[in-house]
Amino acid sequence: MSSAQRYFRITLLRSAIGLPGRTSRILAALGLHNKRLRTVYHPVSPDVAGQIFAVKELVDVQEVDQALTQQELRELRRPDKGWYVERRAAEGRSG
Amino acid sequence: MLTKSLKRALLDSRWPMPPTFLLPWAAGLTTVSHSTAASNLPPPLVSGVSNISRQREALQQDQRAPPRASSGPLASLPELPAANATSSPPALSQSVRELLPVLQAQGPHYIVAHLYDRPYLLTQGDTLRLPFHMKDVEPGDILRLDRASIIGSRDYTLKAATAPPALNQSTGKVSYVDDRLFVCRAVVMGVESDPLHVEEKTKRRQRKVKRVKSKHRHTILRIKEVRVRGLEEVE
Repeated sequence: MSSAQRYFRITLLRSAIGLPGRTSRILAALGLHNKRLRTVYHPVSPDVAGQIFAVKELVDVQEVDQALTQQELRELRRPDKGWYVERRAAEGRSG
Repeated sequence: MLTKSLKRALLDSRWPMPPTFLLPWAAGLTTVSHSTAASNLPPPLVSGVSNISRQREALQQDQRAPPRASSGPLASLPELPAANATSSPPALSQSVRELLPVLQAQGPHYIVAHLYDRPYLLTQGDTLRLPFHMKDVEPGDILRLDRASIIGSRDYTLKAATAPPALNQSTGKVSYVDDRLFVCRAVVMGVESDPLHVEEKTKRRQRKVKRVKSKHRHTILRIKEVRVRGLEEVE
């Protein structure tokens, strides 16, 4: 069975503020040009591995089987509602 | 409301291990290089069989929750088989077994209920003015609040076990108490609105003034019941 495409799950943990411009440009190339704790998915390849190696002190990397889109990641962050309607007023009282 | 459990179900599906590592996303994050260990892998989204628990008792980690309808952005994911609804409810930990009757006996109780992950410290008889307008409810509807992080009485407190924060990354995730242990009901009293507020937006030496109106609404709830269940009811 051929191996499925593996992905790097890259999370920005530390900012590139104060670091040479090259570093923040590499983060931008990876898609991590916004904020800490954002995550992106990239297919495993030597190119991406080299980019990660250049910013290895700033990111956390995991290897996973499936890449999530930004919309899916956002849905995962959505909180639980915390409430549900048990009885509607329109149903009236029982008994 | 129900899609969240589905997403968690998808997350948890592949891993038979206890879901410690699943909560929260930041768990296990590190700048130290490490080999890919099973515990560090975030659960991928695949066609799931079992479901994740969002709440953990003191020592137990478990899976529960019945299947939910799929919707939203995750509808394009591989179609779920019927979720495993026959999984038994998680067992209570020893400390819960011992002290739940004691907690129950000592009324009145307070609860820290979470609506959209925001905590509200409540007890029976409180009037709660929410910072948002709750849609699709009418005055007189009875609501059941099912997410709580703390339930307590004067001398006893029941909390959910939390995963240790990894690498000083506090993501603000809350862990919830098992919702079989308590009952919290509220009735919708009505909706209040703020006075009309006009925000003026302008710059210096600029005559044009943009005026933006806002009139926020707030749903008012009255907490009718905060009750701790006994062990017989729970099991």
